[in-house]
Amino acid sequence: MTRKRIFYQAFYASLPVLMGYTAMGMAAGILLAGKIQRPDIVFWAFLSSLTSISGALQFAIVDWIDNRMALIDVALLTVFLNIRYAMYGLSLLEKFRGIGFRRKFYLIWSLTDETFALEAESNFPDRHANTLYCLFVAMLNHSYWVCGVTIGALAGKFLPFSTKGIDFAMTALFLVVLTDQCREKRNRIPAATGLICAIAGRAFFSVSNMLIPAMIMMTVTFIALRKNLEKQFSLTEDRS
Amino acid sequence: MNAQTVTIISVIAITAVITILLRAFPFLLFSSGKKCPGIITYVGKVLSPAAIAMLVIYCICSAYRDRTFAQGGFGLPELTASITVIALHWWKKNPLLSIIAGTAVYMLMVQRFFC
Repeated sequence: MTRKRIFYQAFYASLPVLMGYTAMGMAAGILLAGKIQRPDIVFWAFLSSLTSISGALQFAIVDWIDNRMALIDVALLTVFLNIRYAMYGLSLLEKFRGIGFRRKFYLIWSLTDETFALEAESNFPDRHANTLYCLFVAMLNHSYWVCGVTIGALAGKFLPFSTKGIDFAMTALFLVVLTDQCREKRNRIPAATGLICAIAGRAFFSVSNMLIPAMIMMTVTFIALRKNLEKQFSLTEDRS
Repeated sequence: MNAQTVTIISVIAITAVITILLRAFPFLLFSSGKKCPGIITYVGKVLSPAAIAMLVIYCICSAYRDRTFAQGGFGLPELTASITVIALHWWKKNPLLSIIAGTAVYMLMVQRFFC
């Protein structure tokens, strides 16, 4: 199979991501530029989308920057928010075996939810074709995201109406992700645990200090409930 | 360089490095065919929905950082907009539609009714 045909196949497979990433990226960019008003914000939007390539994170950093959140909180929250990426790698270990360092580094760096979904499905008989396909998918998706966020930040600078209340876009994004996760029954108890721990965290601490206690509480709860909760995951393992 | 620039650079650098490390985690640890301990897989799976749920609460609390509960309309804008997002998304499954509609409802409420 020629390089060109593999590229076309990758491009064709990535079209739904093109729609999703540019639109969602623009929303994140508009939020960033609307909330943090400074002349160079487009550059920072570009840089953060290029280096992190992470949807929920792109929305979340707006609040973190705006409120000058403690950097240790930033670090811990990033871990909690993106820990699922570590799970994706587990199922790609075999597929990425034997790929050279530079290519492998890029494939790992660019691993988002959507890119993972496309790469996990690819099954060319030839290993080399498979690697090329994954690289093309990764580069295409990466570029959609960076374009979306950067264009959004540009647009956000020139919005002709008041942006007061636009920060709800971040809450809305999290609600959307949560709604999707709760379609699967097994995610409902973990989600409810997170909800309760966050409310408990807020009850005992200020807004700026509530997250770390909440994260500790939920981790302890999950370890204590492991026997009961893990069953649901192993039963449905094959279908997901 | 002012304080905000320093914050922006630190936040971008920290989030980028940690995100890359998380993505590389299995490749760094289990490249030689070792199996991942069950507890890590389990905690990773349950933490995802929990962290998102926590952030929803955090975002809503964050809106009341600089004003009292009464000034913000007793949570009514947040409640209405959240229900809009959840209902619309459960029904239509279109992320962008849900986000834009919910944010529009919220912006309308805080700019017109609870300002």
